[in-house]
Amino acid sequence: MEDKRSGGGVSRREEIIAGYAFVAPTAVLLSLFYFVPLIETFYYSFTKWDPASVTPAHYVGLANYRQLGGSVGFLPAVLHTLVYLAFTVPISVAVGLGLAMLLNRPFRGSGIYRTLVFTPYIAPIVGSALVFSYILSPLGGIANDLLSAFGIHPINFLAENPWAMIWLIIFSIWQVAGFNMVIYLAALASVPEVYYEAAEMDGARFFARFRHITWPLIWPSTLFLLVIGVVNSIQVFTQVYALTGGGPIDSTWTVIYWIYQEDFVYFNGGLATAGSVVLFLVGMILTLLQLRFLGRRRVEMMS
Amino acid sequence: MATALELRSGRLRRPPAAPVRPRRGRRERRVVVVARHVVLIIATALFFGPFVWMILTSLKSSSSALVYPPTLLPHHWHFGNYLDVFRAAPFGTFYLNSIIQAVASTIGQVVTSALAGYAFARLRFPGRQLIFFILLGALLVPFQVVFVPLVHLLAALHWLNSYEGLIIPNIPSIFGAFLFRQFFMSFPAELEDAAAVDGAGILRRFISVVAPLSRGTAGAFAILAFIYNWNNFFYQFIIVNTNRYMTVQLGLVLFQSQQTASEFNLLMAASTIAVIPVLIVFLVFQRQIVRGIMLGGLK
Repeated sequence: MEDKRSGGGVSRREEIIAGYAFVAPTAVLLSLFYFVPLIETFYYSFTKWDPASVTPAHYVGLANYRQLGGSVGFLPAVLHTLVYLAFTVPISVAVGLGLAMLLNRPFRGSGIYRTLVFTPYIAPIVGSALVFSYILSPLGGIANDLLSAFGIHPINFLAENPWAMIWLIIFSIWQVAGFNMVIYLAALASVPEVYYEAAEMDGARFFARFRHITWPLIWPSTLFLLVIGVVNSIQVFTQVYALTGGGPIDSTWTVIYWIYQEDFVYFNGGLATAGSVVLFLVGMILTLLQLRFLGRRRVEMMS
Repeated sequence: MATALELRSGRLRRPPAAPVRPRRGRRERRVVVVARHVVLIIATALFFGPFVWMILTSLKSSSSALVYPPTLLPHHWHFGNYLDVFRAAPFGTFYLNSIIQAVASTIGQVVTSALAGYAFARLRFPGRQLIFFILLGALLVPFQVVFVPLVHLLAALHWLNSYEGLIIPNIPSIFGAFLFRQFFMSFPAELEDAAAVDGAGILRRFISVVAPLSRGTAGAFAILAFIYNWNNFFYQFIIVNTNRYMTVQLGLVLFQSQQTASEFNLLMAASTIAVIPVLIVFLVFQRQIVRGIMLGGLK
């Protein structure tokens, strides 16, 4: 990397000392509160460890990992997380793209629409979830008021299967679509206008233009949104905690919820960290798979 | 529109080319324009409507929050609901804790990120690249994977239920260091050299010349960081479980669990209390926020 700074006035030694000193706060704090716990997560996953007692953890090999499969709740939690992810990620990306397409070219009022649609993304999840639980309440919630206008009996949306999961997914899409829109707006703005002009000369209609110009050119953003969408979805917690509390019964329990419960309630530190390691590996694998299979498509289209 | 989200792309946008196909008449285009507004109005109602509903309900009486058919506006404006919320739960304390936590974390994030970003961009020292890429690796590890041992580490430090615990582990920001590194790499060296000629040391030069010139980046990052810290529920949730150190988000969950289901006007008032500060920051600084999100998002 070319260094633009000329060393004038400062000795080499001072520069080295300053370099380490400037990086130190970030590096030391991050090591202490991120890298050390990360290593510990791997370590504890091979031990029997009760975080509430003073008894030191002792090595048990792969016992925790074997136990995961049989443990009550872990596999269902994985399943719920995958269902959540399979709906939330593609739909929120599609909604974001749709909004961005509608708002791409500035027109009177487009700025207001952008602002208002983006708002759920920056609002605190706990506050928004409370508003949703009011709207969905069987007692005076407007969703059920609407239903009763059609003569349908009130539904306890957040306490009935499969409604709780459906509304958890809708809530998450609502929350993140604005972010996806902003990323797509940036991508759309960088597609050179001349491409569209040329296509229009050839008589290409809207869908042809979208398929052959827009979609391939914004593919990197789509890939980015899919990857971070998956990473965020497999670690979903706050949305679940605030909206459904994991219920009804355990129908919206997700992996983080399970880890939290194992460690903080049942004090199975070893089992909980084994779950963390599995979550980490699944996240890595899903990311690599997406980059491998979806990333290549982009290269083919661009070449 | 001064307050509208503006994506700085003006250069790329030329006026649309004159219609080539005469087939597509004026009427067809008008239909498209109207249809687009209809879709967008519905979308806006769905995305922003819940916040309007929240605020309006927060000003109703508890019975009119439940009445069927629902009314949009309150019959009487019950501003006293907000006082009731503050009386029912120590939201003053929650607010203070949120502000202390969010402001201190943000300041820490800006200062440490600016220093690290500057060093990674402009200072030469052995291992610079290696350290940078190791730190960047932390972005691959979700926080949720490290929280179990972290909580026990913080318990050993007696940092659970404390400001130290709420603030200090939050301070290192890879995203911030990355953002500042990008900024300082494009920073004109001449400005710094002028100070170097005066014989100022590196720290001195950083404080008096470099830092003031990076106000734009620091501001954009600070706003994003503040919103992130204010909203960072999961972290606060695992660190704090006593009223004394609860933030607004935690207090809201506590308040919800204490209320009977029918007090939706008070619940919406509490919700408004939690949402409003972020909403104001967002509406005032939305341009910087969107720019920051795109910088971070698109690297």
